Amino acid sequence: MRPNQNVVAGQRLPRLDGAVKATGRFVYGADFALPGTLYGKVLRSTLPHARLKRICASRALALPGVRAVIASADVPAARYGNAIKDQTVFATDIVRFIGHPLAAVAADTLEIAEHALAAIEVELEPLPPLYDPEAALAPGALLLHPGWQSYTALPVIARDGNVAGRSRMRHGDVDAAFAEAYRVYEHRFTTALQHAGYTEPRAASATWDSTGVLTVWSNGQLPFEVQATLSDILQLQPSRIRVVVPGVGGGFGGKLRIGVEHFAALLARASGRPVKMVTTSEEELTAAHPRQAAIITLKTGVTRDGRILAREGRVIVDCGAYSGSGPGVGAVALQCLYGPYRTPHYRLESLAVYTNKVPAGSFRAPSGPMANFAVESQMDMIARDLGIDPLEIRLRNVVQEGDLGPAGEVLRDVSIEECLRRAADAIGWHDRMTTPGRGKGLACSWWMTTGGSSGVFIKLNPDGSVGLTSGAVELGTGALTGAAQVLAEELAIDLEDVRIAMVDTQHVPYDYGAQGSRTAFSVGNACRAAAANLRAQLFALVAARYGLPAEDMRLHQKCVVAGDKRIPLSEIASQQYTGGGLIAHGTTLNPPSAYDAGRVENHPLPVWNTPSFHAHAADLSVDGETGEVTIHRYVVAQDVGYAINPTYVEGQIEGGVSQGLGQALSEEIVYQDGRVLNANLTDYKMPTSLDMPPVESILVEHASAAGPYGAKGVGEPPCIEPPATVANAIAAATGLWVQSLPITAEKILLGLRGESAA
Amino acid sequence: MTHIPLTLTVNGRPYDLLIEPHWTLLHVLRAEIGLPGSKANCLEAECGACTVLLDGKAVNSCILLAALCRGRSIITIEGLGDPEHLHPLQAAFVKHGAVQCGYCIPGMILTAKSFLDEHSERTPSREEIREAISGTLCRCTGYQKIIDAIVAFAAAHPEEQGPAHAP
Amino acid sequence: MSFSLHRPSSMAEAVALARQFGESARFIAGGTDLIIQINRKQQSPAHLIDLNGLPGLAEIEETPHGFRIGALTTHKTIERHPPFQGPLRALAEAARVVGGHQVRNMGTVGGNIANASPAADVVVPLLALDAEVSLVDPDGARVLKLADLLLGPGHTARHTHEVIDGIAFARLPAHSATAFLKAGRRKAMEIAVVCVAARLTLDARGLCAEVGLALGAVNAMAMRATEAERVILGRLPGVELFREAGRLAAQASRPISDVRASVRYRHLLVQALVPRALQLCVDRIGEART
Repeated sequence: MRPNQNVVAGQRLPRLDGAVKATGRFVYGADFALPGTLYGKVLRSTLPHARLKRICASRALALPGVRAVIASADVPAARYGNAIKDQTVFATDIVRFIGHPLAAVAADTLEIAEHALAAIEVELEPLPPLYDPEAALAPGALLLHPGWQSYTALPVIARDGNVAGRSRMRHGDVDAAFAEAYRVYEHRFTTALQHAGYTEPRAASATWDSTGVLTVWSNGQLPFEVQATLSDILQLQPSRIRVVVPGVGGGFGGKLRIGVEHFAALLARASGRPVKMVTTSEEELTAAHPRQAAIITLKTGVTRDGRILAREGRVIVDCGAYSGSGPGVGAVALQCLYGPYRTPHYRLESLAVYTNKVPAGSFRAPSGPMANFAVESQMDMIARDLGIDPLEIRLRNVVQEGDLGPAGEVLRDVSIEECLRRAADAIGWHDRMTTPGRGKGLACSWWMTTGGSSGVFIKLNPDGSVGLTSGAVELGTGALTGAAQVLAEELAIDLEDVRIAMVDTQHVPYDYGAQGSRTAFSVGNACRAAAANLRAQLFALVAARYGLPAEDMRLHQKCVVAGDKRIPLSEIASQQYTGGGLIAHGTTLNPPSAYDAGRVENHPLPVWNTPSFHAHAADLSVDGETGEVTIHRYVVAQDVGYAINPTYVEGQIEGGVSQGLGQALSEEIVYQDGRVLNANLTDYKMPTSLDMPPVESILVEHASAAGPYGAKGVGEPPCIEPPATVANAIAAATGLWVQSLPITAEKILLGLRGESAA
Repeated sequence: MTHIPLTLTVNGRPYDLLIEPHWTLLHVLRAEIGLPGSKANCLEAECGACTVLLDGKAVNSCILLAALCRGRSIITIEGLGDPEHLHPLQAAFVKHGAVQCGYCIPGMILTAKSFLDEHSERTPSREEIREAISGTLCRCTGYQKIIDAIVAFAAAHPEEQGPAHAP
Repeated sequence: MSFSLHRPSSMAEAVALARQFGESARFIAGGTDLIIQINRKQQSPAHLIDLNGLPGLAEIEETPHGFRIGALTTHKTIERHPPFQGPLRALAEAARVVGGHQVRNMGTVGGNIANASPAADVVVPLLALDAEVSLVDPDGARVLKLADLLLGPGHTARHTHEVIDGIAFARLPAHSATAFLKAGRRKAMEIAVVCVAARLTLDARGLCAEVGLALGAVNAMAMRATEAERVILGRLPGVELFREAGRLAAQASRPISDVRASVRYRHLLVQALVPRALQLCVDRIGEART
């Protein structure tokens, strides 16, 4: 499975787009504009829940330079959405969150567009708002979507009133197991909304041609999903919608769902001109796709020596005003709550609930950090209570090769024990001094490598370069460089010989998208398949030309080696033996794994493809008089299967940890009465360079069966464990567990003093 | 809306412009001069993506009125080097894996350059370099390889560095 | 959103323009607060008067009395000024944590004072140093104690047509030191949750002869903790004394709860940071002696 030579794959090579980015020549979606473009802006609701009585655009339309104003009456009455089609482009009769789009304007300049927004007349009649998901679950609670039954949804989704999705995983007899347990622990944890925080705002440019075909330049992660969503919204066949992706300045799942493409498209149609839209910082913090806030209750029964007998857990995921990614996110929380642990009896339930706040999305490892915060904090609490070392209690419980996962699937390529031991060794676990205010903590988890299909076309050019066309978007992770390294390894060429094409849905193969840590894995696999196809073509051509047996041929240093002959690939390509040049196609689709359907109810993703395992450890100090936390060292041991490019794999770990530490210590979108109080980067606190400790990455390589050279998905896992790792280290340092995120200095100080937070 | 004439010197070249007084340097660079390498994000001096060098010092171009830059020297990322002639600092960023999505990188490189030029008499420590970039946010990298790149560059190039080629 | 931009080349011209345009004009120095406020529609001046062409306002002078910082001096200049790295270190420590390097390269101390954010960093050590602010208007000049200039959030005693031209404070006596501490939710790019500046002079017997304790972000404007100062004067430095000062300073502060922190937490931070700042002064005086 591993490559023969690791000449290109496995090497710390500079990424293909590094120089163009470092010199400011790389064009991002937010930079892109069409000639003659107009500029669009969205008018958004200032009330969290209201009846939209009247909206009138005539004053706005009369302003010089305003070319179109649209609201719900001007767009098809269609609903769209991921799990549930519950969303409309503009509020129709009910406004459901502050930030809910009401109308949109296209004008000659951005300033005119802003003036035009102010000239749109809106009449709203307030309705009682519902902010608390637990209140939304209570019997008799106000229905936020009175027409919920009329929405179409994926058949697997179980819905009821304010519940946008309920999933369950269970096995065995939890109540009997609790009765037998030595001790049963029950805790409640809460986590806050977190902004994905990509540095490049969401942007789109749209134009229609004279035959009614739409082209959208979008900086989103899933161009084929944008195409499908636009198809729903515009009531147009996908073949009449073309999505092109210039550069993307970070996504992290926040650019998964449609951003501003639909507004740009609708305004372009209404005005007859190209339209460019870019979100503002305020829109990103009030109307984007943040990580859901969650409430987790977890009850665990254990034996005297800390072995898990049973778990009962409930995750409430606050969807916001529309389901967004909520139902799927809630469901996946269950596997995270189960953890990489042997659990004989379990009863786990997730509820995705509507409230009058921003619809939330799929930020990196969606629901992972929240569920992990609960299960790993509680693990340490149990360890402390039973007098067992936190590392030891985990080692007693972790899954082994061949164990069953929560859906009854067989777990393969299990490496959690190695990750735990290596992280613990690296942090000096057995060397823990009892300095007051200083402590070490650890946490572990597992996560999926999302499946889904990918295809690539490759083309060998006469100069020996190879064009790589895939439907996968490069977000910045380096995944496409990684896939190109796999391709170059397979074809015995240099990485710099690979040219990656821009993604354009019109002619790239379908790709399930840059999400779920799947890109290098899936595109890498497709590249191996395409390379095999191209190799076969090359060998057949050489065999025919030279009368040599193809079976004895191999590729080496940009040549076909056949006996004592070395024929350069560029020579074969320039001979034009076949029409249209040397082109090959490769695809990949992971087959679904077998599982026990009896353990799972209404779960859209019951089995995790090619799971990865990982453990984090931190050494930190807590200032006992201010509550401020200083992390001295942070260690990650992550099973990456095979590190296609160790530099960029480390980059994912270092970056993921910074997002996780932000969630752990300082980041939250603060809502008060339905309004975001900190809708700017002054008060939404992402880590600066001074907030980051040195991060040591230990790349564990426990090869997977399905990944290219054994690779596993790498991008999401590093943001999962930091909240629990930090919480456990703070508890080790102070004796205090904070059970809500972010764990701010204020919460720590007040907690140490036995005072409750304001 | 009154336009005023303004000549700006950017990357060593003069540009004769007609601008509105409230236009920021960032807007003028991107929309009027056609240098989109300086990036727009928060537009409130909170993220540093718009950082350029004004008389050699890093500033947030998103809150700097273009009209106040009359007679001053402006260097953008495009003026430091191009893909065929990378400034060694740019090369260090590429070599050390400091570039992921790259959106913060123009601002980050110029922030680093400003600091290193300010301390050109010595090689700053890793911790000083970490502090030097604390006004420029990166969401992708966790800063580690960015700091590695700047540290490596500073160690290899103790003297003050100008642009890679005459603009 | 546009305005007319005026570029006077002398102070006289600048204040004449200010008188001419009155409330519809604002002065612009570094613009790091003003432009953001204009973009957020918190201010909409029809005229901006650019002070950057005025000569002689961007220097730090040592005078027989002490120091005079020109109003257009940037935070970066203050941060790196060699005479501010010793006993006057609190000035550099405060300047160093204003925004990031980019903001410090542009933002000026005069602009910072005129903007009068209750959380302004450099204002706090200046207050502890009993700084005085000189203002110029078309009819002349006046000097106000910084403490009397600051009236509330965004509000100072400066008249619309007055320009702050400098800030002065007296030289520190021998055996003096200053210290500045700031608490925030992250370690950079912070608007202070609480900040504290201490100035301490010890006499020949090692008793606290002079003290200035200033607090930021815990009241409508930066404030002196005068009861805390009184309890320290004439006493020997010590942990219990400084803790008492911290408690008194916390009692005197009037913080609000906002998205950054609660009232309670701010009180606790004052209690924690005041003794630390005072102890740092004692340590620094001790270091200078050896």
